[in-house]
Amino acid sequence: MAAVGIRLEHLTKRFHHRVQGEVFAARDVSLTVAPGEFVTLLGPSGCGKTTTLRMIAGFETPDTGRVFIGDEDVTALLANRRNIGFVFQNYALFPHLTVFENVAYGLRVQGRPMAALGRAVADVLAMVGLQGYDRQFPQQLSGGEQQRVALARAIVIRPRVLLFDEPLSNLDAQLRVRMRSEIRALQQALSITAVYVTHDQEEAMAISDRIAVMSRGTIVQEGSAEELYQRPASEFVARFIGRVNLVRARVVAVDAAGVEVEVAGHRLRVVAPPALPAPGDTVRLVLRPETIELATAGGEGPAGIVAERTFLGEKAEYQVRVGDETLQVTRYSGAAPRFAPGSAVTVRLPAEGVGLLREGA
Amino acid sequence: MPRPVRRDPALLAAVVVLWACLALFVLFPLAALVARAFFEGGRFAPGALATVLRDPNHLRAFGNSILLGALVGGAGTALGFLFAFTAVRANLPRPWGAVLDATALLPLISPPFTTAIAIIFSFGPRGLVTYQLLGLKGVSVYGLASTFAAETLTYFPIAYLTLKPVLAALDPNVEDMAFSLGSSRARVFRTVTLPLTVPGLGNAFLLVFAASLADFATPLILAGNDFPVLPTQAYLQITGLFDFKGGAVLSFVLLVPAFAVFLLQRAWVGRRYYVTVSGKVGAQTAVKSVAAWARWPLLAGCLAVTVVIAWFYALLAYASLVVALGANHAWTVGHYRVIFTEGVKAIRDTLIIAGLGMPLGGFYGILLGYLVARKVFPGRRAMELVSMVNYALPGTIVGIAYLIAFNDPPLALTGTALIIVACYVFRYSPTGIRTTVALLQQIDPSLEEASSSLGAGSATTFRRVTLPLIVPAFFAGLGVVFIRSMTAISATIFLISINWTLITVRILENMTELSLGPAAAFSMLVVAIVVVVMAALSRLLRRFRTPGRVAVASLLGG
Repeated sequence: MAAVGIRLEHLTKRFHHRVQGEVFAARDVSLTVAPGEFVTLLGPSGCGKTTTLRMIAGFETPDTGRVFIGDEDVTALLANRRNIGFVFQNYALFPHLTVFENVAYGLRVQGRPMAALGRAVADVLAMVGLQGYDRQFPQQLSGGEQQRVALARAIVIRPRVLLFDEPLSNLDAQLRVRMRSEIRALQQALSITAVYVTHDQEEAMAISDRIAVMSRGTIVQEGSAEELYQRPASEFVARFIGRVNLVRARVVAVDAAGVEVEVAGHRLRVVAPPALPAPGDTVRLVLRPETIELATAGGEGPAGIVAERTFLGEKAEYQVRVGDETLQVTRYSGAAPRFAPGSAVTVRLPAEGVGLLREGA
Repeated sequence: MPRPVRRDPALLAAVVVLWACLALFVLFPLAALVARAFFEGGRFAPGALATVLRDPNHLRAFGNSILLGALVGGAGTALGFLFAFTAVRANLPRPWGAVLDATALLPLISPPFTTAIAIIFSFGPRGLVTYQLLGLKGVSVYGLASTFAAETLTYFPIAYLTLKPVLAALDPNVEDMAFSLGSSRARVFRTVTLPLTVPGLGNAFLLVFAASLADFATPLILAGNDFPVLPTQAYLQITGLFDFKGGAVLSFVLLVPAFAVFLLQRAWVGRRYYVTVSGKVGAQTAVKSVAAWARWPLLAGCLAVTVVIAWFYALLAYASLVVALGANHAWTVGHYRVIFTEGVKAIRDTLIIAGLGMPLGGFYGILLGYLVARKVFPGRRAMELVSMVNYALPGTIVGIAYLIAFNDPPLALTGTALIIVACYVFRYSPTGIRTTVALLQQIDPSLEEASSSLGAGSATTFRRVTLPLIVPAFFAGLGVVFIRSMTAISATIFLISINWTLITVRILENMTELSLGPAAAFSMLVVAIVVVVMAALSRLLRRFRTPGRVAVASLLGG
């Protein structure tokens, strides 16, 4: 079966909140997911990502807007008519059914004959690495195993799309990393369209083709992990994805090749942002900690004092005071020289790969 | 989110059918009762109410009912708290807990007159204690004191069952915290344990108060002429004087405080239940709030009650096996021969009615509980409220309302088994409803969503996911309907006929004819049947407790 895409058009969903009254869980959300693409909705809790996912699934009905799966408008369709696979945060395994019966559930609903059903369940259990677990009850399994059952149950019905609602948040850190690559591999093997919800930016970057960052019920930016990391469109995105220094700068000159800014008395050329600022504008530079270099004092560049140094194995994190600002700097262990707290250093800002934020963005 | 009702034909059908049933068997009888009390020939005529309120006898009955309810409520709650605190907080060896449970269970499953009969056997004019032991002559056992004692012993288990989970849910870590801050045990009890139990105590008081207010059987036997109460007055008005209107008006007078208590209790429980459950379960810790020495006086207090109740039942068993207790103590099985010959029709009728009501009540209970807990449809809260009405109202009112409503065509059901079955189903299923709701609250809605995402419609989801998970509530509902069908009298005494009669009514007839032997034998039979059925049901419940199912704590809890 060829993969189908998903299209959300202007979805809006209001809820009644006991304290705040009418609140928007989703406000004019539009999103297109290409066939076979893996898209993650990323955002802090309460940003509307789960509500949006549940509207795709049909568990919530949008107040306005439309949901398309493939070319079919499914807005008015109940969840059980949409042919989706949904993986819940708490797995939602049926506690009264064995692993086999949990996975077989959707096939039984379809009225699949017994022989075909047994084969399909065995295949999918093998696919998620759970051979021999047929007769166990969900409570007898570990968290990771329960997660695999939930996954198997969702994919065995050959859904048109796979939807994940923070599926890894109940697992410990190591298992989370392993499961996310398994989920990704499974999605690739099945070449199925997937929408994934998480608040963990690292997870989102590791698993997705494309990320849609949400805040307060709207999608604030979409793009690949690199695009979002290097060219965030707002302070929110810049801070939500990775660690960042936002440094105030003044635009000196703008030309076809880029923008020249002045920061702490030093000039710097940066790549041209989509909307060009004018000379004299105040902007903020998006400086990722690992792009800043430290050198012994007296070199070319702003002077700083090391306030703090935290050694983390493969890298060390510095807090460097430059003027009134404190920069976060990450230096990878190896050839990089060590600077003790209190040392005077020269800060070398990168010449490329620096994003620009307009004031107020 | 649950889908709207108009897009779900199965849900729509269930809602319509349930509303039709509730309208017919709850709202219509109540409306008929009020109409009979206040309307005369189609016109509003409140004169009857004024007449009743001017009758000093009726006014006294009203005052007596409230007084008795308050006394029994207070004493029953205190006794229930003693039992619950001792069971949950005193770190007693396990067998003692079973003894306390059994003590509390017996009054709940007994036919209505048992305590009253036993009190007469013990303290009546020819009583074993008063006459045989103390040699007192001309003792009057009738009046407030004996009614109060009998009702307290009969209804304290309600308070026990209400308070036990409340006390059990108190995290001992909270008490440990207070200890760590330097509090003494007495201070911890006063400043932590008791305040956290206050909502439970209030709830227990209201429930026991309502039970006493509604009690018809005990005052009928024990209150005597000098201490009239409303339910018996209304009964006598109808069966003695054939005054339906007077009975309806008296019922209405009783309805006002009963309804007030019902609403108060709902509001109270809804708003003020403390939840000490905090996301994560705290470390397991032993309860330290009761000093080692203090548990023995607590236990002694409970056991005193146990001894009294055991004495009552032993006496009843003895009375059923001797010719005439107090006069001729020769052994005989004659009383049992009587109930299995003359009384066999009542036994058969009762079992048929209980057998019919049981599955109907069980299904009705889980269906309604499921709908109000899980579905969104207009009038959902109203449906839940209406479903509780017949349960909350005193049986006398329900019985008189049914009598008035179903006496005439087109709904002339009087004299049929159907009217008795309907009365039991709508009066005693709320336990099943509430157990269902409580179970569903522990089952995450995502299970139903998962089923839906796998292609199952709402009927399939209910049958394959929800129903298996709430099976325990179904059996709990069955059990309660059966037990009540065996033991209840206050409502159905108005509904029996030549065609259909009940064991409890035969017990009452025996008592008024002063044939106490057969009355005792019938009572023993009811207790035996109920115990057997309960044992069978709890075996079934245990079988259904495969891993993952939510356990139902007690058949009668909730």
